[in-house]
Amino acid sequence: MSLLSRLSPAALRILALLAVLAIVVIFFASQIEGYLNGRLFNRISSSVAIMALIATGQTLVILTRNIDLSVGSMVGFTAFATGSIITNHPELNPLLLLLYSALVGTAFGTVNGLLVAYARVPSIIVTLATMALYRSFLVEYSDAKSITTNSLPAWLTDFPNMPVFSIGAMEFRAGFTASLVVVIIVHLCLTQLRPARTLFAVGSNPEAADMAGIDAKRVVLAAFALSGLMAGLAGFMFLARFGTITVVAGLGFELKSVASAVVGGVNIFGGSGSVIGAFLGAILVDLLETSLVRWAVVSEFWREAVLGALILLAVATDTILSRRLTKLRAKKSKEAAK
Amino acid sequence: MKHVLLGAAAAMMLSTANFAYADTIKLEPGKETNMVLLPKFLGILVFDQANEGAQEAHKELANPGKLEFTGPTPENSTAGQIEIMTTAGTQKQGAVMLSNNAGDQIVPAAEAAQAAGTKVVTWDSPIPNGKGESVFVAQVDFGSIGTVMADMAMDILGGKGKMAVLSATPDASNQNAWIDSMKKALAADPKYAGIELVDVVYGDDQAEVSYNRALALVDKYPDLGLIMSPTTVGIQASAKAMQDEGLCDKVKVSGLGLPSEMLSYTMNGCAPQFALWDFRDLGYLTYFTAYGLATGQLKGEIGETFAAGRMGDFTIEADPGREGAKRILMGPFTVYNKDNVEAAAK
Repeated sequence: MSLLSRLSPAALRILALLAVLAIVVIFFASQIEGYLNGRLFNRISSSVAIMALIATGQTLVILTRNIDLSVGSMVGFTAFATGSIITNHPELNPLLLLLYSALVGTAFGTVNGLLVAYARVPSIIVTLATMALYRSFLVEYSDAKSITTNSLPAWLTDFPNMPVFSIGAMEFRAGFTASLVVVIIVHLCLTQLRPARTLFAVGSNPEAADMAGIDAKRVVLAAFALSGLMAGLAGFMFLARFGTITVVAGLGFELKSVASAVVGGVNIFGGSGSVIGAFLGAILVDLLETSLVRWAVVSEFWREAVLGALILLAVATDTILSRRLTKLRAKKSKEAAK
Repeated sequence: MKHVLLGAAAAMMLSTANFAYADTIKLEPGKETNMVLLPKFLGILVFDQANEGAQEAHKELANPGKLEFTGPTPENSTAGQIEIMTTAGTQKQGAVMLSNNAGDQIVPAAEAAQAAGTKVVTWDSPIPNGKGESVFVAQVDFGSIGTVMADMAMDILGGKGKMAVLSATPDASNQNAWIDSMKKALAADPKYAGIELVDVVYGDDQAEVSYNRALALVDKYPDLGLIMSPTTVGIQASAKAMQDEGLCDKVKVSGLGLPSEMLSYTMNGCAPQFALWDFRDLGYLTYFTAYGLATGQLKGEIGETFAAGRMGDFTIEADPGREGAKRILMGPFTVYNKDNVEAAAK
C-alpha cells in the first residue's frame, strides 16, 4: 500500500495546491531579491485573514450549486456599521461588538437565502441585486461620513497585528490565527457533522437529496446565512485592520472570493470542494497579487491581466496534477489488487 | 447743486474704477435654473463638503430652481456618471457640475448635454481632452501641486532619498496630471537632484488595496524613504500600514490628505507633512460659475471676470495643462504639519 492510495481525492487536491504554491514561491524567489523571508509570510498571512473568512462562506454557498456576489457589500456594510457603533459607544464590550457584526452579516445573508431558496430566484440574480442594494444601504447609512482610525478604541485596531506566537521571523498574528481557527472549525464541521454533509448532498444531486428526505431549501438558506455570517466576521476584521472605512470598503471581494474558492478546487457546479482548499486558494491569489507588485517585469497596467492568466494557469496545473495523482492512485490500487 | 456735481464726479470716478477691473460681472441672484452636482461617486467626505459649499451658494443666489446632489454608487462610477450626464441633458437641466471619473469616455454624453442646452462645468477632476466641457474650476494650479509635493518630499527626505507614488486609479485624470507635474518639477530644478522617484503604483482609492500596495512598495525598495500619495484614501492607508508594521522611522508618508483623518499620523511622525485645499470653497465657487453660465450671465469666454460671493473675483483663463480648454483657478492650498493640523481637524 503506497501513501498515494491511502489519500482521498480531496487530500490529493490539497497536495496539488500546495505544490502549486511552492512552485509560485520558488519562481518569485528566483526573480525578486530578498523575497523569501519571514516578512513575506507576515504580509500574506495578515492580508489573507479577511479573504479566508469570505472564501469560506463563499465555498459553503458554491457547494450548494449557488453563488454569493453580495459578500463584498456585506463586508463593507458590516465594517461601517460596526465602526459606527463603537465610535458612538467606545465602552462597548468587544464580544458584544463581534456579535453585532456577526448578526448584521447573518441578517443580510438570510435575506439572500430566503430569496434564493423560497422565492426560487437564481442566486446569481438575487445576489447581483443585493450586491447593489447593500452597497446603496451603505452609501445611505454612511451619510458620506467615513469611519476613521482615531475614533476606534486601541484594543480593536491593535488586535489584528498582535503576535500570538512566532516561528523564527514568521509571526502568527491574532487576526490570521483567528481566521485560521474559524476555517478549521468549519472544515471539521463539514467533514464530521451529519447536518453539514447535507450541503454536499444538495449540491451534488438535489433530487436525490430530496428523496433522501433532506430539506434542500433549508440547506440553501443555511448556506447563505452562513456566508453572511462569515462576511460579517470579515467586516469586523476589515474594520480592525484598516480603521478607515468608506463606502468603497470591500469592493470587488465577491470576485476575489469566487476566484479563491475555484482556485482552491471547489467545484463551481456544486457538490465538491473543501474550505481548506478555498483557504489555500485565497493564499495563492494573494501571493500572486503581492508578488506581481514587487516583480519589476510586469507594469501596473498589465498586472490584472497577468493575475488573471496566472489564476487560470494555477487552476489548470492544479486540475492536471490532481487528475494525474488520482490516475496514479487508481493504477497503484489495481496493481495491488492483482 | 455743488453736492450733485460732486456726487456725479464721484459716480464717474467709481465707474471708471470699475472699468479698470475689466468690468467684473456681478451675478444677478434669483434666476431660476435646475442644476446637478455630480461627484465621482457618493459617500466620500470631500464630495459631501463640496455639496455643502454648493448648497450655501444656492441659498445665497436665491435660485428658485433645484440643486440636486446625485452620483453613481462606487462600483459603477464610470457608467453611472455617463448615465447621469445623459439624463441631465434630456431633462434640460441648466448645468451639470461634474467631478469627472470617466476620463474621455464621458465626452459624447457631455457633448450631447451641451447640445441640449445644459452647461457642463467640471470641478476637482476635469475632462482630459476638454471636449464637452464649458469650463473647469481648478482647486489649485495643477502645476503648483507638483511643486508643493516636490517641496514636501525635499523637506521630509532632507534633500536626498528614494520616493514612490501611491495614486488612486490609473485613469484618474487629476491624479495623473499632478504626478506628471511633480515629475516635471523634480526634473526642472537641480535642488531636487537628490530625490529619486522609483515607482508609481495604484491603490484604486480603496483602503485595503492601498494598504497592501504601500507594504509592497516597502518590500520592493528596502531603502525607500517616502511614500507620496496624492489621494486622501491612499495617504491614510499608507500611514496606517507604516504604523502597523512599525516602519514609521524609516518610511514617511506625505501627499494630499484630510486633517481629520491624518491627525494622529502627523502627531506621531508617520506623516509629518501633507497638503489639501478646501472642498467647501470648491463647491461654492463651482456653483457660482455654473449658475452664471446656466442663466446666461456668463458666456464662458476667456478673460471674463465675475464676483463669486464671499470668495472674491475670479477670471476664466486658458488652462495651461490642457490645450484648448478653459479653467477658473481657485487656490491656494494649505500645507499641514504638527503645528496646524490639530486646529484644522476640528
